[in-house]
Amino acid sequence: MVFEKVRSIISDQFGVDEDTITLDTSFKEDLNADSLDMVEVIMALEEEFDIGEIEEDAVNNIETVGDAVAFISNLV
Amino acid sequence: MAAASGNPTKETLVLMKIIVDVMGGDSPCTTLAQGALHAATAYGVEILLVGDEQALEPVLKNAPASVSVWNAPSFVTMEDDHYAVRTTKADSSMVQALRLLAEGKGDAVVSAGNTGALITAATLYVKRIRGVRRAALAPILPTTTGTGALLIDCGANVECTPEYLLQFGIIGHFYAQKLMHKEIPSVGLLNVGTEDTKGDSLRLAAFDLLKKADEQGILRFIGNIEGRDVLSGQVDVIVADGFSGNVLLKSIEGTALFFLQEVKTALLSSYRSKLGALLAKKSLSKLKEKMNYRKVGGSPLVGIAAPVIKAHGSADAETMQSAIAQAIAYAKGEIISAIEQNIAAIKTTD
Repeated sequence: MVFEKVRSIISDQFGVDEDTITLDTSFKEDLNADSLDMVEVIMALEEEFDIGEIEEDAVNNIETVGDAVAFISNLV
Repeated sequence: MAAASGNPTKETLVLMKIIVDVMGGDSPCTTLAQGALHAATAYGVEILLVGDEQALEPVLKNAPASVSVWNAPSFVTMEDDHYAVRTTKADSSMVQALRLLAEGKGDAVVSAGNTGALITAATLYVKRIRGVRRAALAPILPTTTGTGALLIDCGANVECTPEYLLQFGIIGHFYAQKLMHKEIPSVGLLNVGTEDTKGDSLRLAAFDLLKKADEQGILRFIGNIEGRDVLSGQVDVIVADGFSGNVLLKSIEGTALFFLQEVKTALLSSYRSKLGALLAKKSLSKLKEKMNYRKVGGSPLVGIAAPVIKAHGSADAETMQSAIAQAIAYAKGEIISAIEQNIAAIKTTD
């Protein structure tokens, strides 16, 4: 369930089909995400899962979609 | 540099409300507020000043009833990191102004604050138009033909992908249609030569995407354009990455200042030339006015889901008034809805 929601947010943010997004998808390598993209994604995740503000250090450790899903799963 | 678009009229703009972040610019908040007050009177719009209420008190004494204040003493400095708008400066005047816009409390935001912070905050709080990958700064440059040329991007995105440049071309196309009243605007790619094979890998890839968009009838791409030709009026929309666009814009501004100074020096160098200057005074004043960037005010952040205008950091009262005029024109121009409606076309070629 978390993955589906995360995938939907990423699809919307980066304008890519949901089918192309897997747990191994790298934000930087596969989606060409820069720092602004990452903050947008993080803020969208915070809003969707109502988890408060994610700390900067945690953001820096999120490299793949799988990392984001694991991080969110620990909080909800 | 003076833009091609004119000032708004009072009659048609009675209900519009412009949110003005008066903090964080090079000029004091009272100076920027004065410009906003002039705009309220000149254009018949409501103005919501966002800033330090206590500091603004002297200006507010003579303010018309259409001007109100939203107290926000904290502000983003020019030295602040862009991402401070999410952390230590999340309560700043800039962020509060943008939040008010996102909540529908006004029709546009004007700010003379930190450019990077404004782009970041607008992206995070007002959001991009769905499907648009990056907002861009897009000023209208004066041209010898008098029609103006849109430069997109001039500094919002220092690093770009070919897809960003394609989107800038498409967004620029709608902007030129709606605000510059060009039925089928011509789009050119800023490059180091006009031949199809010129440029680095970014320019070559962007050229192919823009050419494909032209073949699909999405826009009219006329090929590469060199820096020396941008003011000739031969192209309506100049597509550039933010780095090149900013270098071009600042070079033009610097050249204009240099040229005007040299003309002044030459005209004051002898009795005869002073006499000539006297005879040509009216024409010279017109030229100076055309090159006065204060008359433009700033640049819209195109691609953001609601109108946001970045005024020059060095904005004074006159610049702020001009930037508000620009915000009114941008909000009225329905560019955002045009981009939203045509987003499918943008995605098709992505």
